[in-house]
Amino acid sequence: MAARRDFYEVLGVGRNADQDEIQRAYRKLVRAYHPDVNKDPGAEDTFKEVAEAYAVLSDPETRRRYDAFGHDFRQVPPDVDPAQWARARAGAGAGAGAGPRRSARAEDFGFGTAEGMDVDLEDLFGGMFGGRGRRRRGAVPGADQEAELTLTVEEAYHGGRRALTLPGGRRLDVTIPAGVANGQRVRLAGQGGQGSEGASPGDLYLVVRIAEHPRYHVEGRDLHASLPLAPWEAALGATVAIVTPGGEAKLKVPPGTSTGRRLRLRGRGMPNPRGTAGDFFAEVRIMVPARLTDEERRLFERLAAASRFDPRRRS
Amino acid sequence: MTYALVRPIRLDLDSYARATGLHPEAVRRLVVLGLLEPVSDARGELCFSPSQVAAAARIQRLHDGLSINYAAIGLVIDLLDRIEKLEATLRNLSPRH
Repeated sequence: MAARRDFYEVLGVGRNADQDEIQRAYRKLVRAYHPDVNKDPGAEDTFKEVAEAYAVLSDPETRRRYDAFGHDFRQVPPDVDPAQWARARAGAGAGAGAGPRRSARAEDFGFGTAEGMDVDLEDLFGGMFGGRGRRRRGAVPGADQEAELTLTVEEAYHGGRRALTLPGGRRLDVTIPAGVANGQRVRLAGQGGQGSEGASPGDLYLVVRIAEHPRYHVEGRDLHASLPLAPWEAALGATVAIVTPGGEAKLKVPPGTSTGRRLRLRGRGMPNPRGTAGDFFAEVRIMVPARLTDEERRLFERLAAASRFDPRRRS
Repeated sequence: MTYALVRPIRLDLDSYARATGLHPEAVRRLVVLGLLEPVSDARGELCFSPSQVAAAARIQRLHDGLSINYAAIGLVIDLLDRIEKLEATLRNLSPRH
């Protein structure tokens, strides 16, 4: 848990906000960040933070104590005078730390680290779910979460390990299966939202997004790419090398191939963990030199004079 | 549970209530409201598939976190599921031109 944010800041209200304003801010935030509404892995922490801030600020008494003592207010005995407390703290900071240690503070309310702390668990869970009542419930398993994972075509093709940082700041090492498809959900069991009171956590789903690629276009498991050919290669036929994510492949271009013809390399598309791999389609584009050498110009002129081919002739 | 793959696991009312932390009476109420999908066993007793544990957890989280009453949660859940389906469809559509 990072440094604790001020509760007013969490709710986005001023320090002199009235109860209605606090309630309104809380309701809006809690709707936006509820772990069942917002699948973002960072949403749950925000939700808990908001609920805790509201639990403290919605009760005038705890709010008054929070204003006076800050996040430590639960450790301060009820009869301490705020002004005295402030003086004592200032003194402790200068002298030999007799006051509460600031460094330990961040953990005090940490969920799941409550053993041996003098925080009232009952308080914590009552606050966590926003209700003020002291309903004691059984353990509730955590919510499922969802995060997007953008991969290049090559990464999706080969699979493998990958480190990623979730929106909440959590880091994960995931193994991506070779041949994941666009939109596919990779399930990471137990990596979702925490359950309360030791109940099982939810799952984290990574939704695979395959990024646009300068050469390949992905459609399902098939890959499409354009294949530039010289006019004579297209007319006479050729065997050309073409780069695929799985490495270089030899492609036979039959004689008399025009632009737009799609040549298929069977099974050279995205691999399929359960079944046959996709195909690789190379779409022919005939290219001509932007500037002709004298020799090329002479040869093309001879060809133009000799050929009776008319691509625009109506048949 | 070595037979898990052979026989579908069903939880009876008591073990389901224990797994979800709900009172058995509360479970009955959620069933009547159409929020849980029970299956009846041979004797006509309420039984639940293990996936329904997560469903109950979601209901509790929505109820506690947003103060939604149980009747309205049915609608919220239906809408959330529909949004999820639509978003999945949208994801699969967008990269094609």
